[in-house]
Amino acid sequence: MSAPSTPSHPAGKASTHQLEQAAASDASITAIHQTLLREKPEPTEGFSPIPIFLLFVFSALIFVGGVYIAHYAGDFEPMAFDPSRGKQVASAEPAKPVDPMVLGGRLFNQNCAACHQVTGQGVPGSFPPLAGSEWVMGSEERLVRILLHGLSGPIEVEGKTYNGAMPAFGPKSGYRFNEQKIAAVLTYVRNSWGNTAPAVTPEKVKEIMAAVGDRPGPWTAAELDPFK
Amino acid sequence: MSSAPSLAAAIDPRTKMPQERAELHQIDESTRVLALIFLGTSAVWLLVGTIFALIASWKLHNPEFLSTQEWLTFGRVRTAHLNTVIYGWATNAGIGVSFWLMARLSRTLLRHAGILYVSGAAWNLAVIVGTFGILRGDGQPVEWLEFPRYVTPLLFVSYALIGVWGIITFRFRRGEHTYVSQWYLLAALFWFPWLYSIAQIMLVFAPTVGVIQALTNWWFAHNVLGLWFTPIGIAASYYFIPKVLGKPIHSYHLSVVGFWALAFFYNWAGVHHLIGGPIPVWVQSAGIVASLMMVIPVIVTAINHHLTVIGSFQQVWNSPTLRFIVFGAMNYTLASLLGSAMALRSVNSVTHFTHFTVGHAHHGMYSFFTMVMFGSIYYMLPRLLRKEWPSAFLINVHFWGTAAGITLYVVALSIGGWIQGMQMNDVKNYPDFLQIMVATKPWLFARTIAGLMIAVGHIAFVVSFVWILIKKRTVEETSPTLFNTPPTLSLKTS
Amino acid sequence: MNNGPLLFLGIFFTIAFSWSGIVLTNLVQQTEAGATQPLFDKDTEKVVPAPMTGDAKQGQQVYAELGCVYCHSQQVRNSLSRDGGTSVDVERNYGRRPNVARDYIQDGRIFLGTMRTGPDLRNVGQRLPSVDWHMQHLYNPQITSKDSIMPPFPFLFEEREIVGEPSPKALRLTGDWAPPPGYEVVPTARAEALVAYLLSLRTDYDLPEAPKSVE
Repeated sequence: MSAPSTPSHPAGKASTHQLEQAAASDASITAIHQTLLREKPEPTEGFSPIPIFLLFVFSALIFVGGVYIAHYAGDFEPMAFDPSRGKQVASAEPAKPVDPMVLGGRLFNQNCAACHQVTGQGVPGSFPPLAGSEWVMGSEERLVRILLHGLSGPIEVEGKTYNGAMPAFGPKSGYRFNEQKIAAVLTYVRNSWGNTAPAVTPEKVKEIMAAVGDRPGPWTAAELDPFK
Repeated sequence: MSSAPSLAAAIDPRTKMPQERAELHQIDESTRVLALIFLGTSAVWLLVGTIFALIASWKLHNPEFLSTQEWLTFGRVRTAHLNTVIYGWATNAGIGVSFWLMARLSRTLLRHAGILYVSGAAWNLAVIVGTFGILRGDGQPVEWLEFPRYVTPLLFVSYALIGVWGIITFRFRRGEHTYVSQWYLLAALFWFPWLYSIAQIMLVFAPTVGVIQALTNWWFAHNVLGLWFTPIGIAASYYFIPKVLGKPIHSYHLSVVGFWALAFFYNWAGVHHLIGGPIPVWVQSAGIVASLMMVIPVIVTAINHHLTVIGSFQQVWNSPTLRFIVFGAMNYTLASLLGSAMALRSVNSVTHFTHFTVGHAHHGMYSFFTMVMFGSIYYMLPRLLRKEWPSAFLINVHFWGTAAGITLYVVALSIGGWIQGMQMNDVKNYPDFLQIMVATKPWLFARTIAGLMIAVGHIAFVVSFVWILIKKRTVEETSPTLFNTPPTLSLKTS
Repeated sequence: MNNGPLLFLGIFFTIAFSWSGIVLTNLVQQTEAGATQPLFDKDTEKVVPAPMTGDAKQGQQVYAELGCVYCHSQQVRNSLSRDGGTSVDVERNYGRRPNVARDYIQDGRIFLGTMRTGPDLRNVGQRLPSVDWHMQHLYNPQITSKDSIMPPFPFLFEEREIVGEPSPKALRLTGDWAPPPGYEVVPTARAEALVAYLLSLRTDYDLPEAPKSVE
């Protein structure tokens, strides 16, 4: 590059593309002064060596990564979706008897509370209350039937009429509740929010299941009258 | 310019390298209009994105707020926020900074910048139309690719021009040595159009089957962060930290390891968004290992940045550029290490699907990338405009608003998200989902407070930005606007 | 690292490697293993997973337009443990078994999602089969789920004067939610399609590659 020795070369002409000459422009040097001259030089790199211990740490990391892949890759099979490759674990301990109130509470919160609410109060006009309901506290014959096959059409609860569709929860339904689950959830609703009614036993549920047999659709309230 | 220092003073051998400065000046001049277009529009998008963010955040604890208008429903406002800040603010700012850096480091003028004005205008037009499209409901339901299909070709073409121009600028570089920032910029400019075009084809124009969509989606979305924004952020930190301090970067060797480790491992990390999902377990594990291996480039970059800074903390505190950039670099280290931890199956089983992830995304995108962009802009504008920043007070408000705001944001969502994850995994004690959802409300409210603090910072920034654009150039200004002016830094050129 | 072309080749190789590893390999592997094709279940004489119905397809479009995916995932998570066992999502009743790749091949656009601001919806049709419930919940989630942070979608419904007989589809709203006397709130076609889509979300079949459904 030539030394910047020719002053007052007009900036802004075609020659400005040549950096050598640009440096010579008086006007541009003025500009350089104001903002650029206080700048430090363009950055450079030092050449400190990489600390040895870092190399060890990185090698260890890569080793761990390799071992992890070997153990968690499901043999690189396209149909392996979890690291155990679908292994089902049989519980080592013998199944403990479950408290129906605990199991029932969990099932209720997961499956029923969206409509009947956690408080058992239902939603006015749409979903009947369970708290204080004569249907809940009454005969278990009706309740078990409703749970097994569902209920549709108008129903009167605590003096108000509701018109909805309660889905079936029985073993053949989408929920696939067995007799133990049905008994537990009914025991829970019969003994919560101030309700007090005798527990429902799995044996009783089984008995009703056998009595009803297969049934294509949900019950109507009228059909259940005989089981009051 | 009457009282300008004489030519003799400028070429005085005691003044450092006037030749190099004359070159830099020419190069800055060649990028000026382009950089101002991209940085100016990015500042506008930052404000727009902030407004969408505040509306969305408020809705999460007051769901009735603005709920009667379909185009302002949460799912759309949130999406408009994401796309305006990613493609409006961050990409525009990133392009502005990249071009300026690339031209300076390659010691070459930006040639035929005219065509880039067109592509800049086209890009911004596409973002405007795309944002309206999202609010109307025309958006593509693919995370990070929501712009409606009628604007994506425009986005692609305008971006492709930008990428090619960056690479051409690199091609015409002068000088023997390519500096570390150049590697990152070159890689970013090349990676982004590939990611974008493949994702567009495989997800929008000819959607692939089933879960392969999800794999493509997260390969793309995580790589936009890892292979586009992160390299630009790192390139800017690698430039400005040694530049402002006047020290060399700690180690070239570490730079090399850091670059290739990032290029190799970050590429694979995106799958960690699908851990436990319906995709083959081997690819999940590959993503987990790649995320874990990200520790290597992160540690290496951290050593390089932080060992360069060490001992010069007073300068970091005084310089707006460095204060923002060092805050960003520190958060890059922190966010990346947390990100590696979040990919581990044991941690992921808690944090996945929770607000923890949202906090983490903002930690990376804001505490790191956005803060580095702010710092870069504080350095660039005085050089591009040959004016100094009008008010140190506004810069102070900007820094404290955003730094404190984003810290509160990340902390609140991390704690809230962790609690949420623990409760979701504890079916026995928290069988009812509603109960878990209600428990997140205070944390979501804290997020809105954090958002308001950030918004105050952004307003201060935009006021500064407009002020420096419109204020008159005066010759008296010879010293930079710093937070405190120590005696050693009050440079006069005379 | 001053060699431009070499630098460029490295940059190209890294992205090509990840794309072919994550996307291409899986596409080829899944296709060759037959996981992109439905199966014929001999017991029930049905194709699983079943193709989507027209209503559900339209509803899926509404689901996309409203951005439901940003708060609701659609995946019952697999167990993360090497020792097997039940996934916590199955325990939470998000589904009777974890989802696998084949479950999504009939979906067209898929909505795996990454957020659970609200609950997972992959089996919402099984968990909440009541049309009434969904209509009220969409009209305003506070009716059925007090203190929920889900936004209401009043624009999917129409409040109109009752002309002649009240519509059988009208929402049964009481108290503060009830429309003025002589008016009724009826779902639009979009609301009906959306609910049809939600009710269609159910993984109620077994696949050889998936863990057995729990009872």
